[in-house]
Amino acid sequence: MAAVELKNVRKSFGTVDVIKGVDLTIDKGEFVVFVGASGSGKSTLLRMIAGLETVSDGDILIDGKDVTFAEPSERGIAMVFQSYALYPHMNVYDNIAFNLKLARFGKDEIDKRVKEAARILRLNELLSRSPAQLSGGQRQRVAIGRAIVRNPKVFLFDEPLSNLDAALRVQMRLEIERLHRELGTTMIYVTHDQVEAMTLADRIVALDNGRIQQVGPPLDLYARPNNLFVAGFIGSPKMNLLPAKVLSAADGKATMGLDTSSGTKVDLTTRGASIGDAVTLGVRPETLEVVAAGAAVPAGLTALPARVESVERLGNITYAYLDGGTPEVITVQVMGHSDLQPGQEVQVGLRSDQVHVFDAAGAVMASAVGR
Amino acid sequence: MSSRTAPMRLNLGRFVVFATLAFAVCFYGIPLLWLFIAGTRSEASLLTDPPFALGTWEAFSRTWTNLTTYNNFQILTWAGNSLIYSVGGVLLSLIASIPGGYALAQSEFPGRKLILTLTLIAMITPSTAVVLPIFLELNLLGLSNTYAGLILASGFFPFGVYLTYVYFSTSLPKGVMDSARVDGANRFQLFTRIALPLARPIIALVAFFSFLAIWSNYFLAFVLLSDDKLYNLPVGLTALVSGSGALSNLPSNDVPIKKPEVVLAAILVVLPVLLIFMAAQRFVRSGMLSGAEKG
Ligand SMILES: Nc1ncnc2c1ncn2[C@@H]1O[C@H](COP(=O)(O)OP(=O)(O)OP(=O)(O)O)[C@@H](O)[C@H]1O
Ligand SMILES: [Mg+2]
Repeated sequence: MAAVELKNVRKSFGTVDVIKGVDLTIDKGEFVVFVGASGSGKSTLLRMIAGLETVSDGDILIDGKDVTFAEPSERGIAMVFQSYALYPHMNVYDNIAFNLKLARFGKDEIDKRVKEAARILRLNELLSRSPAQLSGGQRQRVAIGRAIVRNPKVFLFDEPLSNLDAALRVQMRLEIERLHRELGTTMIYVTHDQVEAMTLADRIVALDNGRIQQVGPPLDLYARPNNLFVAGFIGSPKMNLLPAKVLSAADGKATMGLDTSSGTKVDLTTRGASIGDAVTLGVRPETLEVVAAGAAVPAGLTALPARVESVERLGNITYAYLDGGTPEVITVQVMGHSDLQPGQEVQVGLRSDQVHVFDAAGAVMASAVGR
Repeated sequence: MSSRTAPMRLNLGRFVVFATLAFAVCFYGIPLLWLFIAGTRSEASLLTDPPFALGTWEAFSRTWTNLTTYNNFQILTWAGNSLIYSVGGVLLSLIASIPGGYALAQSEFPGRKLILTLTLIAMITPSTAVVLPIFLELNLLGLSNTYAGLILASGFFPFGVYLTYVYFSTSLPKGVMDSARVDGANRFQLFTRIALPLARPIIALVAFFSFLAIWSNYFLAFVLLSDDKLYNLPVGLTALVSGSGALSNLPSNDVPIKKPEVVLAAILVVLPVLLIFMAAQRFVRSGMLSGAEKG
């Protein structure tokens, strides 16, 4: 049975439609991550599942039970907020015990559960402190502790790590991953962070403008984005998106002319293109190659003349930002060290079997990497 | 925050600020200081000695005895009455205005805007303007000359509703309320277990302002109370002072209420306010919300 089921769920604030018909089934024990730009409706959708926002239309089922109109506390969910949202007038112990007290558990049972949560989250030393005396990471652990003592059917996280600094974020990310492994509970997690989404998710739900754009395992979304939004959103650095025109198309082959002064032509296998169509070609930075100007380009690569704008050296990886006459700079990822210099004239090699093709409406078209 | 402070340097701007502050302290503080010193002096001393001359213990204790024992410890009855009116009125105004302000801030219901507007109007209406209607109303109910009547009338405290409303709509972290809902708190528990404990500063503030208004309320008590056993301090002392002729230049009578006794009576009215202010201020300043959110 599905842990959570959303059926054509909609939400409007006054006249503004924020969630525009979402259908989604989440399996028991699954870790699902909602990603999307700011304002895309991730929090709203999560809060609707929690019961903190009313549902304008559609149904929400948790564990097979219709909870569309149920109070948050009747849904068997627990939620961790971005702002921690601890009770400032209670110490850590009471914060964690609060929902057990409201549910009228016995003193011994409460104590047992709080101690157990404290052990899992390594909070034992802090139980008598007040929230004001904790660091950000400790506060977020208390918030998680408050969630786990109730043995919820579903955990909801709304950007739980975004207030933490980078090192702590990595540590807490690993803790949440461990928690999911140990408890095996269904988790729904909202984040902006690529790494969190890619590493934590069993499935990613990409949301834009109140609609689901694509659902699938992280590497699926990475390798086979359904549309321009997902292509541009998943992956860091971003996929390069190059506007082009279809010059010729026949027998599942097409020639695209890039909208650049160089007029570079790319031969692709693709279906459904017709001559004159405006398309967008998507290429991941790691599939591009930098070749010295004037040098012969290896077979299978299409060369695009470009000039190096800037170079970022991270030690193990180098990012080169190139001006190839396209509207946006082209990002190239080079493993290891590279001696590229700003201002240098080079050629970018596109691997034609690694090019995603999107039509004018942004939907993906069949290609070697598409589907 | 840095623990080191820059060395103070005197420039013109700072001098002007300090001079203004010093003037204000003197202007408003000196009469108060005089009041407390004058309480220790005899009548003769008040008339002849320099304004800030200290009195004697004997003079003070004689004044104290004169004032408190006069007319069978009447003043103690009034002080007791004042206490009853204040405690009752403060409790009533808290019971009414804290949940009222909370409801206005935290829920949506038809007529909410209207109630807010009415609260604001009631707040800026001078309280003396409604004294007569209140008197007529209480008269009708047969409560005009009773403890309950005055307490009931002084429990009406729109300013407290408004203050609470502002506090709950701006300072209550939404995430904290949301997470209490997820934790299973119902509406009533949200209020009693989360909102109320976090509202301690505002409760102290409302209680203080309400106490201030009721403790020093003269006109309402004067109109409502005709039995001098029910007087509060302001009404009682006014009656005492005008009855004794202490402040007029009539030939002396044998009532032992003279100028020193009047001064002491004034101190008796002011002192509780000062003490309560100091107690309330501690609550108001404590940072109740730290640690809830990002912090
Ligand atoms: N209470 C509300 N009243 C009106 N509009 C709202 C309300 N809450 C959210 N919105 C609108 O709904 C849209 C989605 O908001 P939501 O908070 O779900 O976005 P989000 O994807 O979580 O963004 P972020 O990544 O910035 O947290 C936004 O345009 C927002 O302005
Ligand atoms: Mg959000």
